[in-house]
Amino acid sequence: MAGTRITVVLSQAAGKHPGKRALEEAIVAALLGRPEYEVAVVPNLYDLTPEHTGLMFLQAVSGDLIVLSWLYPRAAFWILDRHGIKGHQGQTRLRAEQAEEEVEADNEKTDTSDRPAGIGPGGEIPDRCIYTLDLRDADRAEPFIAEIERIAAECRQRRQRHAPPQPPGRHATTPVLLSLGLAFQDNGTTNLNGLHNHATHSADFVASSFTAQALLAPTGRRWYPVIDYSRCTNCLECLDFCLFGVYGVDAWQRIVVENPDQCKKGCPACSRVCPQQAIMFPEYKSPAIAGADIGAAGGLKIDLSRLFGGEDGDALSLAVAERDRELINAGRAAVGMSVGIPKRQAHKQPGQPKDELDKLVDDLDNLQL
Amino acid sequence: MSSGRFFLMGKYQAPLPAELRYCRNHMWCRLGDQGVHTFGFTSYAVRLMRDVYFLEWRIDAGQRVTARQEIGFIETQKATSGLYAPLTGELIAFNHEVLQDPGLINVDCYGTGWLFQLRGDATETLSVDEYYKHLEAGWENTQRLIKAQINKLGLEE
Repeated sequence: MAGTRITVVLSQAAGKHPGKRALEEAIVAALLGRPEYEVAVVPNLYDLTPEHTGLMFLQAVSGDLIVLSWLYPRAAFWILDRHGIKGHQGQTRLRAEQAEEEVEADNEKTDTSDRPAGIGPGGEIPDRCIYTLDLRDADRAEPFIAEIERIAAECRQRRQRHAPPQPPGRHATTPVLLSLGLAFQDNGTTNLNGLHNHATHSADFVASSFTAQALLAPTGRRWYPVIDYSRCTNCLECLDFCLFGVYGVDAWQRIVVENPDQCKKGCPACSRVCPQQAIMFPEYKSPAIAGADIGAAGGLKIDLSRLFGGEDGDALSLAVAERDRELINAGRAAVGMSVGIPKRQAHKQPGQPKDELDKLVDDLDNLQL
Repeated sequence: MSSGRFFLMGKYQAPLPAELRYCRNHMWCRLGDQGVHTFGFTSYAVRLMRDVYFLEWRIDAGQRVTARQEIGFIETQKATSGLYAPLTGELIAFNHEVLQDPGLINVDCYGTGWLFQLRGDATETLSVDEYYKHLEAGWENTQRLIKAQINKLGLEE
């Protein structure tokens, strides 16, 4: 049996949510000591900068990869892609339990035939799969462990079918635990931390430069768009619309997020003008912009934004207002509708497809509070 | 001077101190010198959200804001929400303690759990009686829509 180890990376939630931390710890604890998994814990994937050890570790993984994060699977997959961590998108069967019926009903009625094919990821796609799992899909570790085991079996079968027999000497024998940074400075006596020490002394600790501490070095919060190239048609509307130089094109004239850190914190305007909803802001509160597949249940919390003063309006006016605000904040003049307005949207039906949560939020807006 | 009011939310009585001004987005406003006012969540807002887990500002101190501009994000035990500027002006300072420990909002929403200071014209804010009426007018619909959301999401109380 091929002994290729599968790498499981857990991307932590930003903030101090006790329930989220507990789930993270439970999942890592369940994977400990199992030779078929290489486990690493990194801070919130979206916040990682190219210099962060966590990202360098991910880039060094060449085999199949499972990434668990508090992000929509689509968002996590394309964040990795942007950092050159490429592979075929593995299909997860994990779905928010409540959403199962809706998902099935949705599969029947969703008509994607009018969606043009995206340009696809750039460069060469290595022969491996990347599975991105959303930690919001269940509140216990067991469903995640079951799904990780199912994926691992799927990967083994795929390797056996496609690859020549493995050369000898590549058997996974000892658990390799690169990082179990779930224990924090103020909590250094947990079980997890103890196990981490054990792992560090393991003879098979291959990547000594990737220490738990380095992998979990604190990050600042970041804010930038993430492009889903399976949807992007390279229409360049975002390049025209954004006036902060975030977007550019590469040597093949493909749209890229060239200067992510020039993006204006909190502003999702370009996402609203994208005709294919290919631009995600993974931390934005609206599920459609954060990368939810339409029809999937988003968070499990009520959204009080309308009660607390959030605005509503059509996507384009919102985007223009957001952009003007950022221009003024940057000491520049507002441009309103005069610059970079998407041509294609002019003759489009009003009302982008909205998901369930967006509709509910709209209902709240009708309260006129 | 009245001693403030209580708004009844189910069995919970949300206190609304009389000496504060109020905003329609469920923030209170303590008038300060030179137009620099302090803002925080009312007990009504905190009761809807429950335990605050995560608070983040999406602008920096010193920036100009326009009324209803999205300036932050909050995640609590029961809810998530954008946070919006209660009035137009200049954001002077954020409460750093509350960023370190958002639980202060639950402990003392009218005191140590204050959110930020903003310089601007507060004449549009509401008196306690006006805010009470605003809550009263919206309460039934608020309950109905929150219940609808909860049912859709399969959340359990």
